[in-house]
Amino acid sequence: MADLLQQIVSGLASGGIYASLALALVLIYRATRVVNFGQGEMAMFTTFVAWSLANHLPYWAAFALTLVIAFAGGAALELLLIRPIRDAPVLTVVTVTIGVLIGLNGLARLIWGNEPRQLESPFSTEPVRIGGVAFSLQDLGTIAVSLAIVAVLWLFFQRTKVGLGLRAAALNPSASRLVGVRVGAMLALGWGLAAVLGAVAGLMAAPALGSFDQNMMQPILLYAFAAAILGGIDSPLGAVVGGLGLGVIVNLLGTYVDVVGAELRLPVALLIILVVLLVRPAGLFGREAVRRV
Amino acid sequence: MIRKLPFLACALALATAGGAQARGEADPGVTSTTITIGGTVPLSGIAAAYASVGRGAEAYFKYVNARGGVNGRRIVYKILDDAYNPANTVQQTRELVQQERVFAVFNSLGTEHNLAIRQLLNTLKVPQIFPATGATTFGSDYGRYPWTTAGFQPTYTSEGRIYGRAIGQMKRRARVAVLYQNDDYGKEILNGIRQGLRFAGRGGRVVAAESYGISDPDVSSAVAKLRRSNADIFVIAATPRPAIQAFIAANKLAWKARIIVNAVASASNTMKIVAASTGKRAEGAVSIVFLKDPNDPKWRNDRAIRLYRTIMRRHGTGDANDVYNVYAMASAYTFVEALRKAGRNPTRASFMRAVTNLNIRNNPFLLPGMRIRTSARDRFPLDQARLQRWSNGRWISYGPLLSPR
Repeated sequence: MADLLQQIVSGLASGGIYASLALALVLIYRATRVVNFGQGEMAMFTTFVAWSLANHLPYWAAFALTLVIAFAGGAALELLLIRPIRDAPVLTVVTVTIGVLIGLNGLARLIWGNEPRQLESPFSTEPVRIGGVAFSLQDLGTIAVSLAIVAVLWLFFQRTKVGLGLRAAALNPSASRLVGVRVGAMLALGWGLAAVLGAVAGLMAAPALGSFDQNMMQPILLYAFAAAILGGIDSPLGAVVGGLGLGVIVNLLGTYVDVVGAELRLPVALLIILVVLLVRPAGLFGREAVRRV
Repeated sequence: MIRKLPFLACALALATAGGAQARGEADPGVTSTTITIGGTVPLSGIAAAYASVGRGAEAYFKYVNARGGVNGRRIVYKILDDAYNPANTVQQTRELVQQERVFAVFNSLGTEHNLAIRQLLNTLKVPQIFPATGATTFGSDYGRYPWTTAGFQPTYTSEGRIYGRAIGQMKRRARVAVLYQNDDYGKEILNGIRQGLRFAGRGGRVVAAESYGISDPDVSSAVAKLRRSNADIFVIAATPRPAIQAFIAANKLAWKARIIVNAVASASNTMKIVAASTGKRAEGAVSIVFLKDPNDPKWRNDRAIRLYRTIMRRHGTGDANDVYNVYAMASAYTFVEALRKAGRNPTRASFMRAVTNLNIRNNPFLLPGMRIRTSARDRFPLDQARLQRWSNGRWISYGPLLSPR
């Protein structure tokens, strides 16, 4: 029994990390209707920025400054790379985001070298044991931060004028422009906010993973995609539930289903994407897209 | 007309003989002033941390060239970046052999990557020297692949056997749990441990073994599963990132087993991260060592390590505390020694004979007492190592040189 609980708890801890990156994917999708393959590397890059800053500043100052830099960087990416191709087919945009992935990865190696690094955690990493199950405050912290972000995002999108503008600009740019929404500014804002979320994901993931390097987000990105699609690509709550659920499912299958073992954990995640797309394309919490024709 | 024929035939025969002689004098890659070799190393991508395996060798060759080269020839070492993708390795190795006309392929990195080019190089009779991998097949399958040698390190099987024997000495009837990467590298270490435990004959056995995939974000689930076995020795046969996670997970689960960590993940900078994340849990961890670690204060005034630092300063790029640079120089040193022994005008064949007849006692970058010995039937340049123990933030080597057999 303790074993089962331990696997669930450690699945939730991994799931918290998938969820935080899945949230960033969801946000950028909501705000710009783009699936951003560069999201993981944006998170990785800002994690390195935070690491550099944390060498000179107290943790929370470095944290705050990193978020500011992430916002500016995300908005700049939108202005420089995405805006010039806004009328291009979706495949072109996807290709450019893959270019962002490769470019940021190389740039980070150029600046920071290849050594693994370590980032301190804002939460205690000391193990806590209750009834034979071990976890740390950091595991709880990662999940708590994800949930807090969902709450803030929900308020922002549903209860503020800017949030309304963001949603409008993404869904119907020309009509939004007619009613006075500054669509360009909204898109840049969306990318900036997604970069901030990615930065938070990186800052949560790096201490949880023990060490980080330029590849830290690549395996996580795959699980984050699966989580976002499981929960519904336009639902922040879905991303969190999807992430936590995926972490637990993958652990339990890996532990108790011998066929899956260690080898088939990733294929299981990909299978989940496939099944969800076949059975419920909008995901668990997503809304079906209704289009008037 | 008819009378002219014998003369023509004679001239043709002479020309052919002359051509053959010219070819015999100089194999591809060898000129009167240079000898060109090459290899692939990941300078970018997922395994770019190993870039120093190429860069360190490059620095050593530059140092040799600055001192007059080998028999008056400068060594030109062409490194291509395969980004750790075997498909690139194949294409770039073709480029090295067919366009750059390299004399030999040296120090190409990765198990799958070297497997992917082995047939090609042997078909073309191009030496494949000291591939940077611990897979046993490169040294043992010389019957089918006579132009290939083993890597410049104890094989993964040897490393596993050394751990197995050492565990036997640590404890009677030891219960051993192993975390291993689910590929040939991980499986070789696991099998080596089982063999070493048998050789030790003290009743130790592997009671649990769990694998992980290289794309798994973390290994805590596998460690939790191993924990259930109540093993008293935990062997981590993993690359640095999952190895760090395994230490953290063992600490979180309050698993008191003694930890053995494989050489792939035992670089000091990796262990420092482990120590920072788990406090005392890293203390007493055991691994093997066969190189002089530039971080070990024991070697601070050692002549070889001083030379190493000078070479890094003058010719190197990157971090002089990165032990992979030392590995690269130890391998390049041995390559240069073999080249010296291959004659004033080396051919690929004479070079292969030299590489498979080495007896070097004083490679300065290796631990004192280590000997490099090869023969036509033993193509493993090294199989000895010492144990080292992590203590107060650094590795301390102890005990005698161990051999897997």
